[in-house]
Amino acid sequence: MKVLEMKHLTRKFGDFIAVDNVTLAIDEGEIFGFLGTNGAGKSTTINMIAGLLHHTKGEIRILGKDVTKNKKFAKSHIGMVPQDIAIYEDLTAYENIQFFAGLYGLRGQKLKEQVEEALKFVGLSDKAKSFPKTFSGGMKRRLNIACAIAHRPKLIIMDEPTVGIDPQSRNYILSSVRKLNEMGCTIIYTSHYMEEVEEICSRIAIIDHGKIIAEGTKEQLKAIITNTKDIWIGINSTDTLDLSQLKLINGVKEVKVEEDVIKINSSADVNNLNTIIQYFIAAGIEIRTVEEQAPNLDTVFLTLTGRNLRD
Amino acid sequence: MKDVIWLIKNLFKVTFKDKKKLFFTVGLPIIGILVSILIYGGSNTSTLHVGIVNHDHSMISSNTVKFIKGLDHVQVKEIKAADVEDKVSSGQLDCVVTFDKGYTQSIQNGHPDHVNIVSIKGATVTGFVKSYLNQYIDNINDLSLAGKGDQETFHRLYTDYQQAPFKMTTGTLNDTSKNNDMTYQAIGFLLMFMLIAAGNLSSMITQEKEGRTYFRLLSTPIDSKKYVLSNIITNLLIMIGQIIVTLIFMTKVFHIQLSMPVWEMFVTLILFALVAVGLSLAVIAFATSSAAGNAMLNLIVTPSCLLSGCFFPSGIMPETVQKIAHFLPQTWLLDTIDKLQQGQHFSQVYLNIFILLAFACAFFLIAVYKFGRNNNVNNFI
Repeated sequence: MKVLEMKHLTRKFGDFIAVDNVTLAIDEGEIFGFLGTNGAGKSTTINMIAGLLHHTKGEIRILGKDVTKNKKFAKSHIGMVPQDIAIYEDLTAYENIQFFAGLYGLRGQKLKEQVEEALKFVGLSDKAKSFPKTFSGGMKRRLNIACAIAHRPKLIIMDEPTVGIDPQSRNYILSSVRKLNEMGCTIIYTSHYMEEVEEICSRIAIIDHGKIIAEGTKEQLKAIITNTKDIWIGINSTDTLDLSQLKLINGVKEVKVEEDVIKINSSADVNNLNTIIQYFIAAGIEIRTVEEQAPNLDTVFLTLTGRNLRD
Repeated sequence: MKDVIWLIKNLFKVTFKDKKKLFFTVGLPIIGILVSILIYGGSNTSTLHVGIVNHDHSMISSNTVKFIKGLDHVQVKEIKAADVEDKVSSGQLDCVVTFDKGYTQSIQNGHPDHVNIVSIKGATVTGFVKSYLNQYIDNINDLSLAGKGDQETFHRLYTDYQQAPFKMTTGTLNDTSKNNDMTYQAIGFLLMFMLIAAGNLSSMITQEKEGRTYFRLLSTPIDSKKYVLSNIITNLLIMIGQIIVTLIFMTKVFHIQLSMPVWEMFVTLILFALVAVGLSLAVIAFATSSAAGNAMLNLIVTPSCLLSGCFFPSGIMPETVQKIAHFLPQTWLLDTIDKLQQGQHFSQVYLNIFILLAFACAFFLIAVYKFGRNNNVNNFI
């Protein structure tokens, strides 16, 4: 069953096309990674799904229903975890969750149970009566998530839920995302941390200049760029290094120096490792380490967009 | 409607968990009452400070001054003509009676003239002096008429009149002017605090946009119209509470007589509550941030309260300023209360009520128009 379908979705701001003819479908039970640099059209797409922005053209369906005609239905099945922490500092953790859950129509015993459940889920049961101003950044992020899940939505949109928090809280949130998924929630996950997306997402879409430029599983995306490989050579000194000579070696496409590591991007079908090593020996440069990097999502993103995700 | 009630409950919670907001909403109007009691308080018998400018320098004018000096609770001070404006506007004198040259002659001619009273406190002050003075001048005028223009006969009659004993029966009436002034002042303060409270509550909209909770709210089944409606209702409910607390404190705790039925005062103030909410929403709709909104509100609330006479009677202002004050809702509210205190029926102040409603409608329309144009979620993501 499709939880979310977008067909030819377009959003214009005057003459500027923020989202350009996007067609995507997300199945029930997926953790869908949505990647793009700032201004790529990611937030605009998410806001249209969440009913915060109207689309100029196209169609969005949540659980098979058109969101334009069934706004309330669509919104009641979505849990939004915004990038910025959106909670009331003057209300306790319990009251915050209770308030947002109440907006979805929950009342009485059911409300109480689901609020307690959400608090337990994010590990804040013992902080129920505490005010968010006393919380760490990680705890606030967890409360931010609890406010979005208490009404048990089918689709949870998480926009950068781990920004600016400690590794422990990040791990907690990532395992919570997996747990929510196991409980039957479909999740749209955006992050600037590629390793997070690689770790938890079953399918990924990359958006650039408002268009989806790649979509598929991690393996499918990596397969797009398997015509190149990365060789990283650690050296003691770059004083006598001549990059132009390295670039002349057969198959070498790009050479970058990052401190004492020479990063060489080369055609995958050319076996040139020996020639590269011989260049360093001949130049009298001592080699410390040699690594052949398997392509990861960072490489995929860089290859496809020409930019790093955090640019 | 359930959603709106849920939002209202939350707004109440958020507002009153902050003790500072609670103090600003309920505490300050009570302090306002205390201030007006301090200004107008003391014993119930007030002394009227009357200035005299005597350009006539005749026996009759001197006797008239003596007559005024002899009145109960009146303190007379002879001053120079050049000091009149200064002494009256600074409040040192309640009124000044000027006897111009020709005062005696006009009485002897049977057409009393050349006497003026100046005051900024209106009929409540001048009426007292005027009524005694009229009676005294009328008596001398009658003597003049009896003398048929003969100076000697007039002087003989006048001397007899001065020396003749007469029987006078006195009764006591309550002086309500002081209470009215106190009520006026307390309501003036209340108006300012109502505007401040309305501004604070309306600025929660911009605060929520800045705090991103508004963004989250709109991602739930709540839409922006329900959200703004709940803010308006909360605002009105809080202001009704503010009015009730103030009226209870005025009448039951501080025993200030309103000189009008409490329900009339309540209804009039509710009308102003609508104006206050409308105004604050209109201002907030133009604000790009809560800081800008608060600054704009401060810029509007304090000067408009000052001009319209919330802190002191607008009569001491220059005429141009008084004309400008007619464009301020506070002026119309205070005028309504003044008229009701002077005994007019509620139905007789329909024009004032209509003007107040028109102010409220205009502010709400501006707010709706502006919110409709800038209520794009893209502005605060």
